[in-house]
Amino acid sequence: MSEPDKKPLARSPIAPALPVRVVDGWEVSAARSAAPLTLTDVTPLAKVSVKASARGPAETTIGVRFGRARRIDAGDLVVGSGPGEWLVIGGIGSAPAMTEHWRATTAGAGELVTVLDLTHGRAMLRLTGAHAADALSTICAIDLRDSVTPDGTAFRSSMAALVTDVVRDDVGGVRSYLLHCERSSGQYLFDAVLQAGAAFGVEVCGLTT
Amino acid sequence: MTAPMRLPSQPGEVIDRTVPLMFGWNGRAASGYAGDTITSALAASGERVFSRSFKYHRPRGILTAAFDDPGCTVQVGDEPNVRAAHRRLAAGMDVRAENAWPSLKYDVKAANQLVGRFLGAGFYYKTFISPQRLWPAYESVLRRFSAGGSMSVDARRGDYDKRYVHVDVLVAGGGPAGMAAALAAADAGASVLLVEQEYDLGGHLRYGGAAELATLRELRDRVAAADAIEVLTDSVAIGRYEDNWIAVMQRTAAGVAERLVKARARSLVVAPGLIERPYVFAGNDLPGVMLSTGVRRLINLYAVKPGLRAAAFIANEAGDAAVEDLRRAGVQIAHVADARRGTGLVHATGRGGLRSVRFSDRTVEADLLVTAVGWTAPTALASMAGDRPEFDPGAARFFPTVAELPGGIYCTGGLAGDGSLDELVGHATAVGRAAATRSRVGVAPLPHDPHPALFHGPTDGFVDLCEDVTSKDLATAVAEGYDGAELAKRYTTSTMGPTQGKLEVVNTIAMIAELTGRGIAETGTTTWRPPYAPVTLGALAGRTFEPVRYSPMQPWHSAHGAKPLVAGAWIRPDHYGDPAAEVRAVRSGVGIIDVTPIGKLDLQGPDVAKLLNLLYVNKWSKLGIGRVRYGAMCADDGVVFDDGVTGRLAEDHYLMSTTSSGAAAVWEWVENWLQTEHPEWAVHVTPVTTSYASINVAGPKSRELIARVTDVDLSPDDFGYMHVRTGRVAGVEDSVLWRIGFTGELSYELHVPGAFGLHVWETLLREGADLGVRAFGVEAQRILRLEKGHLIVGQDTDGLTRGFSAGLDWAIKLDKDDFVGKPELVWQGERSDHPRLVGLATVDPQLVPPEASQIVAGGEIVGRVTSSRMSPTLRRSVCLAQLADRLARPGTTVNVRLPDGRTIQARVTDGLAAVDPDGKRMRV
Repeated sequence: MSEPDKKPLARSPIAPALPVRVVDGWEVSAARSAAPLTLTDVTPLAKVSVKASARGPAETTIGVRFGRARRIDAGDLVVGSGPGEWLVIGGIGSAPAMTEHWRATTAGAGELVTVLDLTHGRAMLRLTGAHAADALSTICAIDLRDSVTPDGTAFRSSMAALVTDVVRDDVGGVRSYLLHCERSSGQYLFDAVLQAGAAFGVEVCGLTT
Repeated sequence: MTAPMRLPSQPGEVIDRTVPLMFGWNGRAASGYAGDTITSALAASGERVFSRSFKYHRPRGILTAAFDDPGCTVQVGDEPNVRAAHRRLAAGMDVRAENAWPSLKYDVKAANQLVGRFLGAGFYYKTFISPQRLWPAYESVLRRFSAGGSMSVDARRGDYDKRYVHVDVLVAGGGPAGMAAALAAADAGASVLLVEQEYDLGGHLRYGGAAELATLRELRDRVAAADAIEVLTDSVAIGRYEDNWIAVMQRTAAGVAERLVKARARSLVVAPGLIERPYVFAGNDLPGVMLSTGVRRLINLYAVKPGLRAAAFIANEAGDAAVEDLRRAGVQIAHVADARRGTGLVHATGRGGLRSVRFSDRTVEADLLVTAVGWTAPTALASMAGDRPEFDPGAARFFPTVAELPGGIYCTGGLAGDGSLDELVGHATAVGRAAATRSRVGVAPLPHDPHPALFHGPTDGFVDLCEDVTSKDLATAVAEGYDGAELAKRYTTSTMGPTQGKLEVVNTIAMIAELTGRGIAETGTTTWRPPYAPVTLGALAGRTFEPVRYSPMQPWHSAHGAKPLVAGAWIRPDHYGDPAAEVRAVRSGVGIIDVTPIGKLDLQGPDVAKLLNLLYVNKWSKLGIGRVRYGAMCADDGVVFDDGVTGRLAEDHYLMSTTSSGAAAVWEWVENWLQTEHPEWAVHVTPVTTSYASINVAGPKSRELIARVTDVDLSPDDFGYMHVRTGRVAGVEDSVLWRIGFTGELSYELHVPGAFGLHVWETLLREGADLGVRAFGVEAQRILRLEKGHLIVGQDTDGLTRGFSAGLDWAIKLDKDDFVGKPELVWQGERSDHPRLVGLATVDPQLVPPEASQIVAGGEIVGRVTSSRMSPTLRRSVCLAQLADRLARPGTTVNVRLPDGRTIQARVTDGLAAVDPDGKRMRV
């Protein structure tokens, strides 16, 4: 074997807004925006799936129920994405450590627990701004009012006719949504959200670390 | 163009005299002001005729001066059927009359009036019923007389948008009652969506006197200051569905042509106000005959003098106010006939416009006749919620039956009853407060004021001005037995025009009641159905969302001239210019293809083998770690459902592949069996199709190429055919390498973490440049697999193809205890009369029968060609076919009927594979 010496470059399915830079092996946009509504491609974030039985022992260990999202001590966001399903979102490049952590954490649960790195399988966006819900209301039928989907809510719905997982994850008191879908439709979802936000002055902002 | 009918500034006018606008009217230059409607601008310049009527092509003018004006539908540019009494003027508009030829003034189709007695109720059915064979000729002539504008198929109006809204209270109607209800609901803590069909809030207050305008300003200011109230103007609630799902059509929305708002409200307050009802008499459609509200809109909103010399036939305060407005506007009042004192209106005459009016006690010359004879309550939204409105003969109008309204539905304003402005606002305030809490506490009913019952005079006139239905037509319908409201409606089409009955329904019912001797209450109403107002087809269709899927290597494909192939949601490279050359490269050297869309399911748990045994027709219990097996799935009926390979990566860890198009269905299938039939099995299924970028490296030099980019031992002894390994590829960890293939060549399928897909693809091309590596697309892959005789589920099978008809005899293991589809396959296996999948070679090797060509014998269809291509390897056509069992023996000659009618001959081959039938090339 004469393995090529070129270091692998990881790319998001979403074409980065110029200029670009490389962060932990990922090509990301270095664009910045102070617009009141911003859309950021956060696909490089680590995404680890944890599966167990619904309402089983592992759920007690994990401590987040279906439909909710909560940050844990490490700063990772644990999302109850389905009955007996969680998606843990962490920093770029942290997937191996997260995988080990959750395998160890759930090892004593006494039931089958599957921990799988889905970083490469999912595209993820963050839409942030006071009008984020207004923008999404043109492509998503879910009630996004605080009374129904407050900060920390997680759900799966159709967004511009695409199956999308949505997490309300406000940033510094500003309304913010994480949207993730199959990697292959990432560019489509990005374009659809960008169009939905046009009336509210959305701008693309690169990933900050 | 001058504006002789334009009045000096009016207190409530909505035009901006500082912004003059030029536009075209039937090819002539015209002008108006910002804020004008098309008709108000034209009326200011003295125009009185705006359209020709639907059937008789009679000249029509302004009646209501609002959206539902039946005589003011025009063509604007390439947009047909524009409501000119509502559409605001814009600079440069090209406005033209519809339904008139050669001109609006001289319309030859008006000759229809001469044969009017043949065009009465049901004339279609009576006149054109025989001889039936002539109907196409009738139809072509009738189409020339059909109403409506024209549009280009290339017309573009921008996106038709959609928006979802969730509110506590939706108020339909932005008049004083609607605004008061919205304010009260907001004060009670509710979120409110206030929907108004006009461009501004206010309802009738907008064209009222000083007191009304003061109230209007106060209510508008309060609404504007209420953060909890969102106002949608030029919008209309067109339908109410289950659980207060309310469709709102937003006609004016920034950046889009129109927007359909799909609102879910806990409470719906219906406050549409009242619609003024026309009076039926001979000449009631003449330009110059207007409703009192139309007159008031023209004067007070648009500063337009509706006529020079007016007569009036009035029965209420609205009529009094209109007469007062006319006096103030300087219109000569020829006569005011007060129906409250018993005066009657007989007929109106004129040619191209009103000239004189005959009352019961006199005849007067006038170019304007104002009628104010009563109101129609638009109970549509309440009716859509299940309400059955009741007629109050004392008030001469229908009212919703409040006791029948389901929870969460409220009515207020003129729809609910009568009273002073303060009383109506008070009622609406109570309703708004109740709606906020979804209760009915504190809402006292409004009284019903008496009103004369005036529907028609002693002469025949138009009941439905949209459809040209006369009172005589209704009499004919009743005489012919169509004596119910719904029957007469359908027979005459009364109430079925663009105004959808808002102006016509009560008069229609009143006449049917009179003709049948029944009361109006007994006759009942026609049914209000959505949409409440006309809606464009574009708005209903909305934006088209069509998700697409791309592989990580798409940028390379695009940059290298790949012809895109739409495969479901996936956009794949069909070829890069020369699929035959791509095939030859794979057979002689090495090629790479992007196969990312192949479905992939990660299966983990101790019971995976049980699951595989259940879903696949073959056996899985003894699959070793690092081994791969082909599997086919059948549905319960034994029909082939999907196929693919599954590899065992670890003791309790498998990776299943599916067809590209079947990935989602297989995932659901697996989950369905696990969750409903075997929840006790410990198996976790995770779709990982796009977690991996998948690249098939195929050809005799594929091993040599792969060896340059991986640390995995590729020696045939260690990594043989139908094995799987994990390792590093092009520096990418956690890659999966499969020794499988679809081409019949030595090949490896690489699954690398998706984000590195492009890196690995480009590395393979760079590292294999000296080997002649080239990318190949789906078309080349299809040729390669066809040469090898591999079936494609869905191409070589269909919705009736059971396992044994798909050539899967070798894989189906009926000695297994059970698997999905086994009973049907046992049944099929015991019979010999089912179709077979066979290879075909055309006798003329250069002929390639198109796919789906029929195979015929003895006048019967005995099969079809399922796949066919010219083989670049063999330089002859290669085919697969589904063929009747009796003809499926190798060497049998069959007749293939081509789409052009020719019949060619082909022979059944020995086995499906035309290239390397022994499989030596892929096992090296």
